[in-house]
Amino acid sequence: MKLINKSIPSIRLSDFISEIEDCIAATFYGDTFWITTEISDVNKKPDKRWCYLKLIEKEGKNVTAEIGAVFWTPGYAYIEKFEKETKQLFKDGLEITCRVKVTFHKRWGLKLEIVEIDYAYTLGKLEAERQETLERLVKENPDHVKLVGEQYYTYNKSLPLPTVVQRIALITAPESDGQRDFKQELINNPYGYAFHVDEFITQIQGDKAHEFILGKLLLIEAQKEKYDVVAIVRGGGSQLDLKAFDNYDLAQTVASFPIPILTGIGHDRNTSIVDLMARQEKTPTKVANVIIQRNFQFEQNVLLLKERMTYTVDVLFTNAKNNLKEIKRFVKASNPLTILKKGFAIVKHDNVIVTNPADIEVGAEIQIQFDKETIHSTVTKKKKNGK
Amino acid sequence: MESNLSYTEALSKLEEIVEQIEDDSIMLDTLTEKVAQANELIKYCEAKLRTIEGDVRDVLKA
Repeated sequence: MKLINKSIPSIRLSDFISEIEDCIAATFYGDTFWITTEISDVNKKPDKRWCYLKLIEKEGKNVTAEIGAVFWTPGYAYIEKFEKETKQLFKDGLEITCRVKVTFHKRWGLKLEIVEIDYAYTLGKLEAERQETLERLVKENPDHVKLVGEQYYTYNKSLPLPTVVQRIALITAPESDGQRDFKQELINNPYGYAFHVDEFITQIQGDKAHEFILGKLLLIEAQKEKYDVVAIVRGGGSQLDLKAFDNYDLAQTVASFPIPILTGIGHDRNTSIVDLMARQEKTPTKVANVIIQRNFQFEQNVLLLKERMTYTVDVLFTNAKNNLKEIKRFVKASNPLTILKKGFAIVKHDNVIVTNPADIEVGAEIQIQFDKETIHSTVTKKKKNGK
Repeated sequence: MESNLSYTEALSKLEEIVEQIEDDSIMLDTLTEKVAQANELIKYCEAKLRTIEGDVRDVLKA
């Protein structure tokens, strides 16, 4: 290629660029390449379904390789798919594996067009990070986190829920669906239970979210005697960016927290690490429901005890009354007056009751006592019964 | 009869007398006396039971 020739001082820029273009085309045209790279300067244009970004490589903090890249409309769908599958925002700092095409434009220069993302790579990487965090939690906090089979046992989960839950510390995002759903469910509980909810409003998404949530937990811990439970809820809006809930420091604090924590982070696919360290419910509404049911259970137990007590008292008095009635009947039947009324009589001799007729001689004067009168008579004859 | 007798004490006295009445060898003149004692205790127990039940029901209602 003759680019500069002394006899020809210069060529037109466009011709020169065409030469470059030809060179590039000769090597790369029609081919695509899989590369693994970090992304930065992500600039999405959702209305046009384009996305500009830079692909970079670092050694420590120094960028050692960098190239401009772009998603055009066909590739843009992969960004959406990536976010859906990994629950991660496609944003600066991520490492991805993608298939690129080398493009060159006379005006815009060299760019890599990304035509596909291998989100399985990112998923695998995220899962590996998650596993690493979980292993570290178990290893570094033997008193607070234990893995038995596939189940994580934590100090926080071992704390019993109070018999009645009334004072709630709520960690949630401002004006969020989660906040609204949780409070609505509590207020509209069908049993008329009253709750006291203190709200600890914080950002729940974003790079610093775990620090903010942690800060709120420490605030609650400082006044722990004021609360029965802590509820961490988020809901509605994007299902992306749950990274804060996989953070080691936050998970560690949750696992060792002295008040029972209920989470309603509201994501259908993955369970976050914070969820594993606390009592996990699917949604903010369900967290509220668990609290209501806990109180309902208590009320039921009290009512049942009251019923049992009333029943026992009834039985006790009925038995006592029946017993007395029985004794009364027996005493009445044993009363000599009752016997006399039936036609029996008492025979006395010298005012002593006669039980043995052998003690009475013929000619003796005896008294025969009936119910209402006593007859005085003289014995004229004695004869054995039946003869 | 002592008026500060508890229900249980009165009842156990009553049961004791009933046992004596049940005894075949009891003399008729003793029997009359025992029946009188028993009747008195029955009245006492009935009154006591009514009072206790009233109190307990009041507490349950409260």
